[in-house]
Amino acid sequence: MQSPDFRQTYFELFGIPPVFDIDAEALQAAQRRLQANCHPDRFANASSREKRLSVQTAAWVNQAFDTLRDPVKRSRYLLELAGAELSDESATTSDGVFLMEQLELREALEACREADDGLARCAEIDSTLARRAQEFEQAFVAHFEAREFDAAATVSHKMQFIQRLQQQLDELRFELEDA
Amino acid sequence: MALLQISEPGQSSAPHQRQLAAGIDLGTTNSLVASVRSGEARCLPDEQGRYLLPSIVHFGESGATVGYPAQSLQLGDPLNAISSVKRLMGRGVEDVGQLGNVLPYEFVTSEDSSVPRIRTRGGDFSAVEISSRILQVLAERARVALGGDLDGVVITVPAYFDDAQRQATRDAARLAGLNLFRLLNEPTAAAIAYGLEETDGGLIAVYDLGGGTFDISILRLHQGVFEVLATGGDSALGGDDMDHALGEWIIAQAGLETIDASLSRQILSAARRAKESLTSSDRAEIDFELGDGRWRGAIDRSQFEDLVRPLVKRTLSACRRALHDAGLERDAIGEVVMVGGSTRMPLVQQMVGEFFAREPMCDLDPDQVVALGAALQADVLAGNKPDSDMLLLDVLPLSLGIETMGGLAEKIIQRNTAIPVARAQEFTTFKDGQTAMSIHVVQGERELVSDCRSLARFELRGFPPMAAGAARIRVSYQVDADGLLSVKAEETNSGVAADIVVKPSYGLTDTEIETMLRAAMEHAREDIEQRMLKEQQVEARRVIEALDAALAQDGEALLDDAESRAILAHRDRLEGALDDADADRIKHLIEALEHASEDFVARRMDASVRRMLAGRQIDEVEI
Repeated sequence: MQSPDFRQTYFELFGIPPVFDIDAEALQAAQRRLQANCHPDRFANASSREKRLSVQTAAWVNQAFDTLRDPVKRSRYLLELAGAELSDESATTSDGVFLMEQLELREALEACREADDGLARCAEIDSTLARRAQEFEQAFVAHFEAREFDAAATVSHKMQFIQRLQQQLDELRFELEDA
Repeated sequence: MALLQISEPGQSSAPHQRQLAAGIDLGTTNSLVASVRSGEARCLPDEQGRYLLPSIVHFGESGATVGYPAQSLQLGDPLNAISSVKRLMGRGVEDVGQLGNVLPYEFVTSEDSSVPRIRTRGGDFSAVEISSRILQVLAERARVALGGDLDGVVITVPAYFDDAQRQATRDAARLAGLNLFRLLNEPTAAAIAYGLEETDGGLIAVYDLGGGTFDISILRLHQGVFEVLATGGDSALGGDDMDHALGEWIIAQAGLETIDASLSRQILSAARRAKESLTSSDRAEIDFELGDGRWRGAIDRSQFEDLVRPLVKRTLSACRRALHDAGLERDAIGEVVMVGGSTRMPLVQQMVGEFFAREPMCDLDPDQVVALGAALQADVLAGNKPDSDMLLLDVLPLSLGIETMGGLAEKIIQRNTAIPVARAQEFTTFKDGQTAMSIHVVQGERELVSDCRSLARFELRGFPPMAAGAARIRVSYQVDADGLLSVKAEETNSGVAADIVVKPSYGLTDTEIETMLRAAMEHAREDIEQRMLKEQQVEARRVIEALDAALAQDGEALLDDAESRAILAHRDRLEGALDDADADRIKHLIEALEHASEDFVARRMDASVRRMLAGRQIDEVEI
């Protein structure tokens, strides 16, 4: 059976150029427009066949949106589209300087839990993480545009490290704020 | 309407008869039904002009009563008058044990069912059955008010409800004989009731503190599209807990030690009365029967507020989390909508107002607001407002995962992911020659499976033996727009597959539901057949109407002569069978027609997505 063209790229689906620095508002607007047409609520009275197709299409659009919205997922997806081998994390974990920094950040994070000024320390780590995330994103764009895909993939892994740390930091903040 | 009926803005679809639709707020303490008439949503009152239906069902020897009559029997006969049943929806035996000290009922389980039932003088009943009684009363109220059978309903659920609880609600609707258009999150319904979709849009926080549940939802509104950005809350926190907190204070004040079910009820209703009067006055008298006499006391508003402040604080910490999940700061929120009877409390309004630094909206009756929104959405889904742009995009309230080695839960779909959604993950075998794998589907945020809710277990069997780690088992989760899950597992080397629509471990099986339906309608066999025939006739007319509109619009462009002749032949055969009193035959012909027009449907979906992308480019040119 024919169905929506599931072969087009997520960028094509949303009608935005296939680059890392995307227009978040354009993405958001296209997401709403696409969902407005394929969302199952538009087919509340339809046959079960149509309902199924609509669920599949809406799920696909959501998957695409989710991938493009998240910087780490977006970077990996761009590499995938470029046909680049996504190296495993070994390249990252052999970068001693980066690993040391991660370790220090993690320790600093743990120390917040016990500290009297835990929330203030959290804010400091937060700005460090934000700065690092921005640096890595710029590095990713530079490598990607120069078609240095191995280097870009390594940076993408580092972005993921930073993202995980950010999540842990946020969790900790909730704990401290609730305490 | 149907995919077949995609209509461009400004183009109206084929005229059709107005559908009768209602919105139902199936609440922990009270339930309501509302409908849109003359363009306005209104709650429908009972014969005495009362809007609320207490969510209480009393089972006596001579049958069941629902609502106020059941409530009046509750004091004298607490074990047979079942209230707060919403807390038991989708819950298993262990959960019920935890609620045991709150709910005084006698629970029984049988070997052939995992669903706990409440023992009453009138028999043993599950939460789903009891809820369906409440739904039936509300549906009947709507039927009388609207002058005909309902074509469909929207039922609201807390945004925080997990899959099992949603499934149970859906089962209750089915058991009540209702056509459920959709389960709608209560906070979203509230925002709709305030007509916020008519405004310029922006970010909305909906704070819903009801009898038994607390929900916070962060919504974004843009050109009629509601997006739930994040939801959070606590499915076991509400006004009832405030009654209990005050009840415990009373027990301590009165120096009571042994408390039976009847006294416990008395104390709780005394506590509730005091709480309600403290909404408008600074001091409340407390008075209830104790032994041969009465106990009398009083409490100041400030004393009461000290008792419940920790509960309100818990709600604010959930608000913080939801804001974070939505990636927002507090000051980004443009409107705060208050829902649920407990938001009448001055302390709640004050603390919420301070938290968001904004005056909360509480113009509409906080008890009615959810039902009103559900009615508006039901009206749209019924197709009564073909020009409406309103669309609700929801997120998954709790992460869905799978049990992996060591009892750990691996998340397959993260909470607050937009739904519908489908995700797949690959797993492998850990033993040589393994030919089966057990799949355990769980929901929740915790790392350990034992801390998550178990939704379903099933087995993938019969794939060929391979070395450990060689099998490739692809597990796919799909969640529909109601937040309900289906799971498929496939060994991709051999193609051996198994799938299930997740019937929660604590849910009723299809057979159980069928048995209940049969039992409920044993004496009305003819009615059932009549209803089935009518349903099929309605469905057939719907399909034909949709097809005609679609053919008129796109038939020429998308179909060649032979294709359209084939579809029309099926269409005519179905139309010819409409007046036969044969539901099975009509059903069969509907399926045949749907099958014959599958390609056409798919092409229209395709064309529609294309048109939209084309539309975007035009927009850009115009800018």
